[in-house]
Amino acid sequence: MRDDRGTLPATKLRHRSAIRRRAVPYVFVGPALLLLLAFGVLPIVVAGFVSLTDLDIAGLANRDNVSFVGLENYRTLLSDGDFWRSIRVTLAFIVIGVPAIIAISLAIAFGLAQGTNRWFRALRTFYFLPAITAIVAISLVWGLLYNTQFGLLNYLLDSVGLPKVNWLSDPTVAKFSVGIVAVWRATGLNSIIFLAAIQNIPQEYYDAAALDGAGEWQKFRYVTFPLLRFALMFVTVTTLIAWLQFFDEPFVLTDGGPVGATTSVSLFIYREGFSRNQFGYASAGTVALFCLILVVTATQLRLFRRNDAS
Amino acid sequence: MNIRLKHTGAALLAAALVLTACGGDDDDAGPAEPAASDEATATDTTDDTTPESTGDDTAEPSDDQPDLAGTTLTFWIMGDNSGAFEELVAPFTDETGIEVDVEAIPWENVNDRLTTAVASGDGPDVTQIGLSLLPTFLAGEALMDVSGMVADYPNLADSNFPSGVSQAALNPEGTVASFPWVSDTRVLFYRSDVLSEAGYDAPPATWDEIHEVAAALAERGGDEYGYYIPQWDAPLPISYVWQAGGDVIDDTGAIDLQTPEFEAAVDHYLAFHDQGVVPVNSDFDQALGFITGAAPMLVSGPYLEGAIRDQAPELDGAWGVTTVPAGVDNTSLFAGSNVGVWANSEHPEAALELINFLADPQTQLAWYEAVNELPAVTGALDELKAGDSETVSVYADQLANSRLLPLHPQWDAVGSEILNTLNSIALTGADRDTALADLYAAVESMTG
Repeated sequence: MRDDRGTLPATKLRHRSAIRRRAVPYVFVGPALLLLLAFGVLPIVVAGFVSLTDLDIAGLANRDNVSFVGLENYRTLLSDGDFWRSIRVTLAFIVIGVPAIIAISLAIAFGLAQGTNRWFRALRTFYFLPAITAIVAISLVWGLLYNTQFGLLNYLLDSVGLPKVNWLSDPTVAKFSVGIVAVWRATGLNSIIFLAAIQNIPQEYYDAAALDGAGEWQKFRYVTFPLLRFALMFVTVTTLIAWLQFFDEPFVLTDGGPVGATTSVSLFIYREGFSRNQFGYASAGTVALFCLILVVTATQLRLFRRNDAS
Repeated sequence: MNIRLKHTGAALLAAALVLTACGGDDDDAGPAEPAASDEATATDTTDDTTPESTGDDTAEPSDDQPDLAGTTLTFWIMGDNSGAFEELVAPFTDETGIEVDVEAIPWENVNDRLTTAVASGDGPDVTQIGLSLLPTFLAGEALMDVSGMVADYPNLADSNFPSGVSQAALNPEGTVASFPWVSDTRVLFYRSDVLSEAGYDAPPATWDEIHEVAAALAERGGDEYGYYIPQWDAPLPISYVWQAGGDVIDDTGAIDLQTPEFEAAVDHYLAFHDQGVVPVNSDFDQALGFITGAAPMLVSGPYLEGAIRDQAPELDGAWGVTTVPAGVDNTSLFAGSNVGVWANSEHPEAALELINFLADPQTQLAWYEAVNELPAVTGALDELKAGDSETVSVYADQLANSRLLPLHPQWDAVGSEILNTLNSIALTGADRDTALADLYAAVESMTG
């Protein structure tokens, strides 16, 4: 053995180790790739296939009850008033939610970056708490706060002589009530991302800006903000995707009501698929949502890239 | 090509569902779970038993049941009464030697468990079936048709049950797939003290009277209302249709909403809102509203009685229940649960033996004692009625004139469409006629 190796030409040895080196990344990536295939790609393929059938619970029981219906589910989807309403509701949530989350978490991160003592560290934990609190607990507490008869919010309004508000029962107000909880819940994590990015900005830039006579606002506008570009892109993309899939908060707080005013696309799909067992139809909804997210995300990335280039 | 596609598609979906089932199982894997899988391995040898072949098998050894002792049945119970149920069936096990493994399934997980069990073909032997889910169980072919065997079990004869849950009413396809077990209905709860203060000594008995009384009670002003309509209560408008003397299913079994009775029910529902006698916030708490007197009349089930007695024992004597106000009839909703044999159970005889035991009036009364769920057997109901509880005798009276929601496979979707339409008119000011026309069109496209 040892002799063999000794006599191997140097080029062959180098070749072998090159193969090994080239294989290393695949070995590392392999498990993640397998998981992605099994739990990411495969379900999408299955959903795409199921969306072309009329599969329901009778079809689960007996395969003879399943038939191939082509694009029928998509045709129904496009003429389904409830689906379009859920799209409008989701867009409304995005318009309220995404800018709010970015602005608020940026402001919080900027505030938290002003100091590093124990007090600021405690605050950081405080802002992160909603992100790790169970949604069930959140729904209980916020449900009580919003309660029309006994809620703290209406009690406060009442005590200063203002009329009570139907926080979760008025179709317009309910959108804001549910949106506020989601914003409150999402700012913690995004603040931490912004904070990390802010703390990564070298002090020298600020020193240089100060030498040029920049005030606090100008430092933020011309140093901090541009250097946060990647954090901003990351937060915008992930937040937008999260709001396109908006589900938890309306599910636990209003169950999509009143009269469908908070039924997001995900909630619509959930209801068709998991309450009514219309698996084929729900899969069509899923594929539609998937395509929507794909288009929106691709557009965003392109926009960011163009900004980078200019 | 087409057929092969179908098969792979269904297989893939089944696989996906089984995968999700593994994840979902964690939170409700009760103590019965390991026992259930033990049983599955023990009976592995008789793999390919289809419902038909078990039916044939059981037809032969109809002499006394020597081989049933030692059988273990798995039983799905919905909700959190599994402990009480184990106690209930202990005498059954002593007598027959048939063990019962009880698995509790939270109500909100029932549909998930049902679909995964249907997809994997791995269900219990006997299951409780909430009546609202009966169409799903039937569509999923999850229940065994035991029409050929049922004659041997005297407690399961059709004549033992209220007419609202006769086998003909429970099985649109003419099979015998499940048997009533516990019953539940909706009656009118009223605060006699509040009513008599307003000058009414008796609760309203007709639609006209309830509108009049509700308007008078709402006169109290402020946060005081006359009546309460739960915005999530999809069966309520349907019971109004029945009370108007109509139905939402036509003679051919198809859903038909375009009847004068349906319109009458719609107007009855909307009138409460037009008069402003009901709260419009969706988070109105009915038990609290009733106890404080804010909603002194409302239609609810026996569970409200428990809440009132727990939370406000001091109100005893200041409230009562009566059958629902009549349009031309005072029909109400028949709710509750059935029990049935799972389609591919390997022990249908033992399962029917258990169901026969559960339908015994004595067992029914014991269950009522234990968890306060009303019996579904006329004999047990009559015995309760003869007792001294006024409320129970009202429930029993109402059950005698109560009906099931349509067992149409599309009903769930149609029912919530109806409710959404009514609420959009009542709460968001949509135009009545336009909204109804939209509803009729939507239902047509759903069922057509």
